[in-house]
Amino acid sequence: MEQSHDDLQKHVKKYVKIGIILGVFTIITVGLSYIELPTHGLNIIVGMIVATFKAALVALIFMHLNHEASMIYKILLFTTVFVMGLFVLFYLAHGDGLVFTQFDGYPGTPYGGAPH
Amino acid sequence: MSASTATHDHHGEHEHDHHELGWFQKYIFSTDHKVIGIQYGLSGLVMLLFGFFLMMIMRWTIAYPGTEVPGLVMLSKLPLVGNFFANWIEQWAPGGIVSPALYNMFGAMHGTIMVFFGIVPLGFAAFGNFVMPLQIGAIDMAFPKLNMASFWCFFVSAVIMMASFFLPTGAVQSGWTMYSPLASTEGMGIKNVWMHGHTWWLLAMVFNISASLLGSVNFIATAINLRAKGMTWFRMPFFSWAMMVTAFLLLLAFPPLEVAAILQLGDRVFGSSFYLPTGLMEGGQRLDISGGGNPLLYQHLFWFLAHPEVYVLILPAFAICSDVLPCNARRPLWGYKMMIYAVLTLAFLSFIVWAHHMYLTGMGVMMSTFFQITTVLISVPSVILLTCLMITLWGGSIRFNTQMLFASAFLPMFGIGGLTGLPLAFNFIDLFLHDTYYVIGHFHYVVAPGTIFALFAGVYHWYPKVTGRYMSDLLGKIHFWPSLICMNLIFAPMLYQGMLGFHRRWYDGGKYFEQVTNGHLWTNELISFAAWGLALAQIPFIINVFVSIKSGKKITSDNPWDATTLEWNTPTPPPHGNFLSEPIVYRPAYEYSVPGVEQDFLPQHVADNGVPAEKTAVAANHH
Amino acid sequence: MDIPFTRKPRPDTGLYNAKLGVWLFLASEVMLFGGLFSSYIFLRVGADYHWPVHELNVTLGFVNTLVLILSSVTVVMAWANLKMRKIGAYKVCMWITVASAGVFMVNKSFEYKAKFEHYGVKLKDGTILTGHLPEGGYRIEFGDVNKLTLNSKTGDPTYFLEYTKSENPKFKTAAGTEVELTKSAWKELAAEAIKAKQNSVVLTSVAPLTFAVKESATFTHTDSTLTFRDGTTIEGKLINDALTLQVDKVDVRASDDPKKSLAWTYLGTEWQHAFDAHQEHAKEKYKSFDAKDARYLRHVMQMEIHHSTVAEHNEAHPGAGHAAETHAPAEGNHKADGHSSHYPEATIARKDIAFWSNFTPKWNTYYGIYFILTGLHGLHVVAGALVLAYFLLFDTKLLREDPDHLANRIEVGGLFWHFVDLVWIFLFPLLYLL
Ligand code: HEM
Ligand SMILES: [Cu+2]
Repeated sequence: MEQSHDDLQKHVKKYVKIGIILGVFTIITVGLSYIELPTHGLNIIVGMIVATFKAALVALIFMHLNHEASMIYKILLFTTVFVMGLFVLFYLAHGDGLVFTQFDGYPGTPYGGAPH
Repeated sequence: MSASTATHDHHGEHEHDHHELGWFQKYIFSTDHKVIGIQYGLSGLVMLLFGFFLMMIMRWTIAYPGTEVPGLVMLSKLPLVGNFFANWIEQWAPGGIVSPALYNMFGAMHGTIMVFFGIVPLGFAAFGNFVMPLQIGAIDMAFPKLNMASFWCFFVSAVIMMASFFLPTGAVQSGWTMYSPLASTEGMGIKNVWMHGHTWWLLAMVFNISASLLGSVNFIATAINLRAKGMTWFRMPFFSWAMMVTAFLLLLAFPPLEVAAILQLGDRVFGSSFYLPTGLMEGGQRLDISGGGNPLLYQHLFWFLAHPEVYVLILPAFAICSDVLPCNARRPLWGYKMMIYAVLTLAFLSFIVWAHHMYLTGMGVMMSTFFQITTVLISVPSVILLTCLMITLWGGSIRFNTQMLFASAFLPMFGIGGLTGLPLAFNFIDLFLHDTYYVIGHFHYVVAPGTIFALFAGVYHWYPKVTGRYMSDLLGKIHFWPSLICMNLIFAPMLYQGMLGFHRRWYDGGKYFEQVTNGHLWTNELISFAAWGLALAQIPFIINVFVSIKSGKKITSDNPWDATTLEWNTPTPPPHGNFLSEPIVYRPAYEYSVPGVEQDFLPQHVADNGVPAEKTAVAANHH
Repeated sequence: MDIPFTRKPRPDTGLYNAKLGVWLFLASEVMLFGGLFSSYIFLRVGADYHWPVHELNVTLGFVNTLVLILSSVTVVMAWANLKMRKIGAYKVCMWITVASAGVFMVNKSFEYKAKFEHYGVKLKDGTILTGHLPEGGYRIEFGDVNKLTLNSKTGDPTYFLEYTKSENPKFKTAAGTEVELTKSAWKELAAEAIKAKQNSVVLTSVAPLTFAVKESATFTHTDSTLTFRDGTTIEGKLINDALTLQVDKVDVRASDDPKKSLAWTYLGTEWQHAFDAHQEHAKEKYKSFDAKDARYLRHVMQMEIHHSTVAEHNEAHPGAGHAAETHAPAEGNHKADGHSSHYPEATIARKDIAFWSNFTPKWNTYYGIYFILTGLHGLHVVAGALVLAYFLLFDTKLLREDPDHLANRIEVGGLFWHFVDLVWIFLFPLLYLL
């Protein structure tokens, strides 16, 4: 879409501001990583929340996703759904194993003897 | 359409607006989607034939293990290259007897070539490239240069893949699925791991994937942005819909395979342990690796691609049949909108069923239940597609030309393939059938008498548009009937073998597993003979393709099958730029046998008053 | 023949072709990096070793993050300036963007180099020592070699002769003729053997040879034979098979028994005492942690070393608790050579080593995924910078005649560039910080 000179001028100022915010949040990320929260998992979650916030700024402002044609949103929606599918891989392999149904070595089964 | 519009004199009048391209730019480094389509098509056919040739040799070994393959040593008597082959045969098939290593090599390469270098290039890239832009009224693809890059990327990957046969280590030997850890460590003891067939397989796949990505971006952008005036989404023929959806599958499913390949490359050449568990031993020796990885990671990444990939193999077949069947039954496509929703659902679901290939990897109850449910669900849209095509035939006045024979044979063949998939969807049945010939039978029913028959139908259907001549119907029928019989003689016994417990990767066909195979080994011979019969049945087809270029019956109309879609509204063969004037679409894609209309078909470009849109557009310009 | 909508958006979709194309491409890129991040989680959740935290050079990573953010701002400003026809500002912004890519890659190469030169050695009892190898690295020395057996198909003299210490060695064939193993001479010998259906060629050396072989060039070796990767076997005597390491860190987290760790066999009991002192101090400091907490173990069961003797070490760290707090890794501050005086040297017998490698993908899956992720990201940086540089330098005609079309190109190139930045925003904390 066509934008006027003034609009663009405003945009440029906005870009600089966003750049500074991103820099500040980078410092925050680094600082946070040296603070030992009750668990390390919490550190990771907090770090990822900050990173997601930064990424959202880049996507919305720099990549103009705050106003884009609807087709782009549709494409990205599907992509997001599938990429979420990818992120459960670890759970499939590590979270849900056959341990729940395993024979615990009944005497006389082919697996006889207790597992160690 | 009347015969008067048949032979446009498109030579004289359009000379001035395009300068002549050199021979190379016109036929080799062309950016024209039609030429690229033909390039993809010919390469695809050659690769299919080659992949089939590998399988014929394997079938000998399965039927007659440990005996000399007739004619194999003849290769070493060829002029010029004979010496070269002599060494090669000495290494891999001493005395003409296929070695286990060669069997594995051929097995892995057969799968790879058929899937990634045969069906996808032919079904998606060739038909999609040639037909889709014409059908939606575009003058070319959205990015013609990328399109050319896509083909040449594909070409490079094919060259690497073929060349790997002649490395000192031979080609890859770990099956088309390349499961780690074996695939990560295969042949690691050589000086330079870069020079191993497996490593070349990975490199070739990186190029192949790049080609697919370039192609799919192009397809989708074209379908979205270059549709002709009036070509709304729900006027777009199902063919183009299916191609676009296929492109989406390729676009989003291939990157995880790329990840899988890159990580495996890391394991092979950088010594990493992405797929290698701690303490892995090989040949009684602890490997010099850090461990800490997991082979399941590979399987997940691979099948995340490879299940959508099987729909990449089948959707072009549905696409072709959705054009050929209505046209030759003279009936509108039944349930057009339902088919579109079905294909979208299918594409969506195909991303969340992948682990049904992994039931036996120790997956827990919850996940296994989830994937069983989604797998059973996905057969619903498949059945909808199939049923719609079948009902299309109802009450039609069917023309049984060759393409119609192939397209209608597709229906029951895909039906068998799909139905045999259902038992596999349940983990307790898969426990017995996994990795047996039953699985081989299942997916070959879908891909071979299914997809490949549909591709043949497409070749017979669009050949006149490409060359201006028909293919011979007689040769076509000589091609069709033996093919149909042989296909079934090959794949039906496989289902039976699988239920007996024949393992899918036996080098000797099961001779040394007598408890399982005793009394049933004759099925191996039957299948092998049927396979060689199938090869013979392709000879009429090959002759037909080449001879008809020069001496087939000339078409008398640009629309020889009286079809409705836009690609038949172009000169034959379509010139660079496709249409003589801007096409405008006035109606849905399948207006056959419309009551009250004199002709039994109304092409999409015909305006309501019965005057072709092209003419009205021209008239409008004169005002 | 002109493809429609290359410049102006199609009215009903609101998109010009290239923008649609690049977003589709980015969708596939999301799947690519999604797959890689997913692999990262997969490997981390499944890791059976202590996943490294704060092990990379945080300063370099931090600087690179700022550099990428800067370039993201400038590339979108370049687009806006071009739209406003401020050509000068447009060019400046583009130059900054491309230069940032250069800075980023230079930093990256420093980081990579430091990792290539830094080694880890996992001892048989699970103890891990890290440090640098002195000049020349680790070589298996093999002497008194008289007999060589070459595989007639795969044998390659240029491959193994690289490791002899003798100049121009001469050999005798079984028939007694004297040969120098040049490429052509070997070709003849091998051809003869193949003709005679012999799988191997046996040669005797005229004078006894000495080899110093890097381990990756060998298959196996015993006290009297060594087999190279090309299949050649030499017979002689193993002179030396021990690796010398300038130790900069002791990690007993995975030791069978930290008190009896092999580390103390090689470093001496003095260092063990220093370690004990360090441990006491750290335990006190981190006493609020659970004793199984990975972070507790990281502080308490590891000690960094920056001094060649215990005396210096104690002097620098009275209380001995300091080492574990210096999170910045040792490398980067030092060049590979000339720092031998900073570290105690340990000469470790090969039989006590379970696994050793430099910090490349081979060392563990963390470094594997680190190199794959950052390597692929680096390729994207290079590719993006090349494309932007091309627009800047070679699209001058377009700039003059149709700036709006060029602005489209910059927008599309910029979208890709922002994506590269976006990936890094996740990479940085995941690999460097958490
Ligand atoms: C219609 C419903 C379908 C269902 C329920 C289904 C189910 C399955 C299942 C569960 C397996 C795994 C068997 C095992 O390894 O133990 C399988 C394998 C396979 N299916 Fe299907 N399938 C269906 C349709 C298709 C289609 C349309 C194709 C397309 C070409 C296809 C191609 C394949 C291939 C290639 C394999 C084997 C891959 C390998 O292990 O090498 N299937 N199918
Ligand atoms: Cu599947």
